[in-house]
Formats: sequence, C-alpha cells, structure tokens
Amino acid sequence: MKLTRREFSAGLAAGLAAPALMRSAWAQGATIKIGMCVPVTGPAAEQGLWAQNGAKLALAAVNKAGGVLGKQVELVIEDDQTTNPGIVLAFSKLAAQSDIVAFLGSIRSTQVQAMAPDVIKVGKPVMIGGTNPDLTHSGNPWLFRFRPNDNYSGRVIADFGVNTLGKKKWAIVHSTDAFGTAGGKALTEALTKLGAPPVLDQGYANQSQDFTPVVLAVKQSGADVLGTYFTFENDLGIFARQLRQLGVNIPWVGSPSVVAVSSTKLAGPALFGTYGVADFAEDSSDTAKAFGKSYRDAYKTAPDNQSAWPYDAITILSAAINKAGSTDPTKIRDAILATQKFAGAEGEYNFDKNGDGLHGYNVVKNDKGKIVYDKHIDFND
Amino acid sequence: MDLVLQLLFTGIGIGAVYALVALGFVLIFRATNVVNFAQGEFSMVAAYLMVVFSVDLGWPYWLSFLIALAGMALFGVIFNLGVYYPLRHRTYLPVIIATIGASILLSNSVLAIYGPQPQVLQGWFDTPGIQLGPVYLDSQYLLIIGVTILLVLFNFWFFEKTLLGKKLQATSQDKEMASLLGISVSTMIMITFIYSAVLGGLAGILVAPVLFVSIQMGSTIALKAFAATIIGGFGDVAGAIVGGLALGVIETFGAAYISVPYKDGFAFLVLIAFLVFRPQGIFGERVAEKA
Repeated sequence: MKLTRREFSAGLAAGLAAPALMRSAWAQGATIKIGMCVPVTGPAAEQGLWAQNGAKLALAAVNKAGGVLGKQVELVIEDDQTTNPGIVLAFSKLAAQSDIVAFLGSIRSTQVQAMAPDVIKVGKPVMIGGTNPDLTHSGNPWLFRFRPNDNYSGRVIADFGVNTLGKKKWAIVHSTDAFGTAGGKALTEALTKLGAPPVLDQGYANQSQDFTPVVLAVKQSGADVLGTYFTFENDLGIFARQLRQLGVNIPWVGSPSVVAVSSTKLAGPALFGTYGVADFAEDSSDTAKAFGKSYRDAYKTAPDNQSAWPYDAITILSAAINKAGSTDPTKIRDAILATQKFAGAEGEYNFDKNGDGLHGYNVVKNDKGKIVYDKHIDFND
Repeated sequence: MDLVLQLLFTGIGIGAVYALVALGFVLIFRATNVVNFAQGEFSMVAAYLMVVFSVDLGWPYWLSFLIALAGMALFGVIFNLGVYYPLRHRTYLPVIIATIGASILLSNSVLAIYGPQPQVLQGWFDTPGIQLGPVYLDSQYLLIIGVTILLVLFNFWFFEKTLLGKKLQATSQDKEMASLLGISVSTMIMITFIYSAVLGGLAGILVAPVLFVSIQMGSTIALKAFAATIIGGFGDVAGAIVGGLALGVIETFGAAYISVPYKDGFAFLVLIAFLVFRPQGIFGERVAEKA
C-alpha cells in the first residue's frame, strides 16, 4: 500500500489529536461538574472562603456516599472579585464549559441581579444565597434560593421587635445596595402592617469609613429600637462602635450580618445584647448541629450562614440530580422544586414554585460574644 | 450646636487621616513627578505589620509601633529600588503604571499571606474616648489629629530649616541643577520614598483601630487622599493637609445635612469643582506649559 502525502498528513494529524480527544472525552464523562462563582478577592473574600469551605464539606460527603449518578462530583471555582462585572465574567467563564451541569451563584443580591440575564440565556440551574425577594420573583426559572428571602427577615425582625420586645418607634439603617434597599423596604412594610411605621429610614453607602452622621440621625429620631440591614461586616463593626460611643444604647434587631462570626469579632462588646435574625443557628436543629460539628472538625472555627447555604445547596442539588436521574437542566429544575421537608443546615427546605426553599428565620442573641439561639419563626406563605 | 461640634470633630479626625496619606502622595510627587498609586497600600502593609507584631507575636504596643515604622522605612527602600529606580530615566507613564502594578501586587500578597479576614487592632489608649460636654472625642481620632499637627510642624522645620530638607527641596525643584551642586539625586529620592512609606504607614497604624485592618483599607483612604491633594494643590505640603481636612469636614457635613448615601459623592463633587474652576488647587500656583 502506498501512502499519498495527503493521506500521510491526515493520518499524522489524527494520530496527534487522538490522545487529546480521548482525554477530553474521558474528562467529560469522569465527573459531574458544578461551577461556583465566589469572591476569592475583594471586600467579601473572607465570606467567599467560608462559602467554599461549606461547599467543599458537602461535596466530600456527597462523594463519600457514592457521588451523583454514579460519578464523583467536582467543584469548579471562579473568582467573582466581589463585584458585579466580576461575577458576570466569572459566570460566563464557567458557562463556557459545557460539561458544568449547574452553578452556585452569590450570597449578594446585587451580584445575583447582575448575572441573572446571563443565567436565563445559559438555561441551567443556579443556586443562590442573595435574599432580595425580587430575585426569585422576576420570572427567572433558573434561580433557586437556599436562604429565606428578606420578606421573611423583615417580618421576623418586625414581629420580634414589636411583639416580643414591645418597641414601636423604629429607626431603620440599611445599605443602599440591592440587598440593603430591599431589606429596608421589607422591614418598613412589615412594621407598617404591625402599626409601627419607622420614624427614620436611613440608607448609607457601602465601605463608609465613618458613620457619625448616621448615628446622630438615629439619636435625633428619638427611636427606641433599631433595625438594620448591613451588607459588610466591616461597616457594621465601625457603625456599632460609633453607635455605642455616641451613647445610643437602644435595643437592636438586625439582619444576619449582626450575628455573623466576623462582626462579633470586629465589634466586640459594641454588639453585646443585640438580636439578629439568622438563617443559620447551630442550635436550631439536629442537622444544623451535625453540620456545625463537621465544620468545626474540618476548619477549626465556627460556621455561619456564609458556609451553611452552599453546604445545603450542594447537598440538595446532588440529591436532585440523583432523583432526576439525568443532568438535563429541566429535569434537575423539576427535582429541586419537588424537594419538600428536606432537613438542611439552614432549616427545613420546602421549595415553592418561585424557587424559594426556606420560609422563616431563627432569632438569635449576642450574649456577651456568644451567639445564642432564641426561637424560630416560620411562615406558610 | 452639639451636633455641629460632633460632626466637626469627626470630620477633622477622618480628614487628618486623608491628610497624612495625602502628604505621602505629595512628597513623592515633588521628588519624582509621579503619582504613587501604591500609597494607600503603604498604610495597609503597615497596619498588617502592626497586627503581626502586636497581636500575633504579642510584643508591647510601642515596640511593635517602632518596629513596624522601621519595617516601613525598609519597605520604602525596597519599593524605590524595585518600582521607581529601574524606570527613573523613562517618562512618568511607565512609573505610574508600575506603582499601580505594585499596589495590586501588595494587596494580593497580603491576601495570600494573611487571608481575607479583617483583623482587630487595639487603639493606643485603653480609654476609647472622652465625653467633653455634649461632644464625644474618640481617643484614637484625638491621637490622629495630634500627630497630624506635629507632622505639619515637623515638615516645616525639616524642609525649611535643615540642610537635608533643603537638599530634598532642591532635588524636587530641579534635579539637574541639584546634581550639579553635588547633591546625590538618587539618594534624595530614596530618602523621599522612605519618608513617604513611614508617613503612609503611620496613617495606616493610626487609623487601623478605627477602620479595622483589611486588605482594602488602603485603597479607600488613598482615593480620598488623592482627591485631597488635588484640592489642596498637587505638590504642596500645606495643600495636602488643608485639602485632607477640608475633604473630611465637607463629606461629614454633607452626609449629615444633605444625604448619607451620597457622602462620597460630595468629596468628588468638590474635586470636580476644583478641577474645573481652580485646577491648581488651593495653594498651587498656575504653571504655564513651556512652549
């Protein structure tokens, strides 16, 4: 047999390409890939690390139990730089890898909002932790929330402050980003319904170095209770200290950041005695306790909601893919929405048609630096 | 009135921080004609050094402070040799880009070494502050204001009354002429970098107990300090101080009386107004371009 030059070249090319093609085919089939957009750099890099810890802990458990569809699950992490353009870029990088079956998005509503149009285009399930109610109520079928939304946090803060603490003159301080604005609005609505409309609604821009004007506004408003939606623990720490320094000692019921591990450490005694709604409270259930123990064993530090929601997201997503028996996005979506009475670290998941898994909050108290579980308030709607 | 006094105190306090960092900008600009965009990171690095010595190693506060400042002096030498010196014969643009690169490198290096968790650094005093009538004076802000006043006096004495200060001024005014007069220009620039690094570090260490120690603490202050230098008049030492204090007071009062969310907006609105109506700043002289 005589080889022509063209046949020889074609054969050579095929021979050279074959190992690479085989490797890629093998790689595609070997694992189930889940993409994760998470802040590795930027102001929320700290929380990003905890989110990765939580996700990896769940991943290890899932893989130990046999993986998903008989394969091991792999996490592909991309840095969202804690910015909106950053997460759009991170998501598009991940979405370009066609073998990624589903994604974990951000805990920050503003970032979820930024990536949402691309999520619709890609058409694959994205687990989120952002709590702005609109995220799952704007007709985007691919967003699934693993934390209770701010409709609930606002209602729980209002309910606890008005009915348990008996306070009616509220000052609300909130960040002006998507999370803080929606939270402030939800709290205002809930308070108005309870007959205690706030006497002050004060926004602030993230990364402020000084909160004196805000504290003085609270002081002058004559409020007897403070409700807050802070996005960054740094800001919260500075605010808390200045609040106490300028002599404002009214009860304080805040969004989850008030009772976050980092804020408790930064603000120290300035946060003693504050109440916070927390989607994650270690003493709230057996699953939460078990998660807390394995997290401590693995990372030698206490977990909070930053690590609990990715943990639940990976666990429920893996179970859903197994139940769907396929990586088809629509089948995964249906399986997630069908998840009911699932005990997670954050609480009991009962997904509704919008993609919201949780419908209530825990109230916890900062007791001299220790976060103590108080009660759980759930809603049926 | 109580409110005004409280706001004035806080405004001057935060303004003094901007002023300290702005001073670092100005000194390097005068010596090299280049804006050092890593000036904010000088503050951040010093604050982390302080955390290492005072918190992690448990050394006494004053000792940690002195060693951190000495560390910053060494850091100034390394920064000069690594970032400025190799590019000293080029135009200003490569140097500016090199400082931006250094800034990114520094913040990410600290992130890699120390992790993203913000750290707590205790203040110099055990008492958090004093109540003077209706006004609460934060002890750390009092210290910052005190140090700023001392530095203004020191700068005046150093640059006007000492031979080294005069040599530095001569170098910043005309390098060739200074060189002809026997002044070692590269030594003077080295000294400038050391002094700026120590100044930036001092600002970082002083402000850390108020703002916490985090990777991005430097960049947020530096942005305002940069605006302060433009308002004060780029290249003018007194301008940096006045610009910094003015900016602190303006944004604090703007936030209290007009809008809190637009606090940063006021600072930059003032900056834009200066760029349009008085680009040379408060103290700057109009410099005509040479034909």
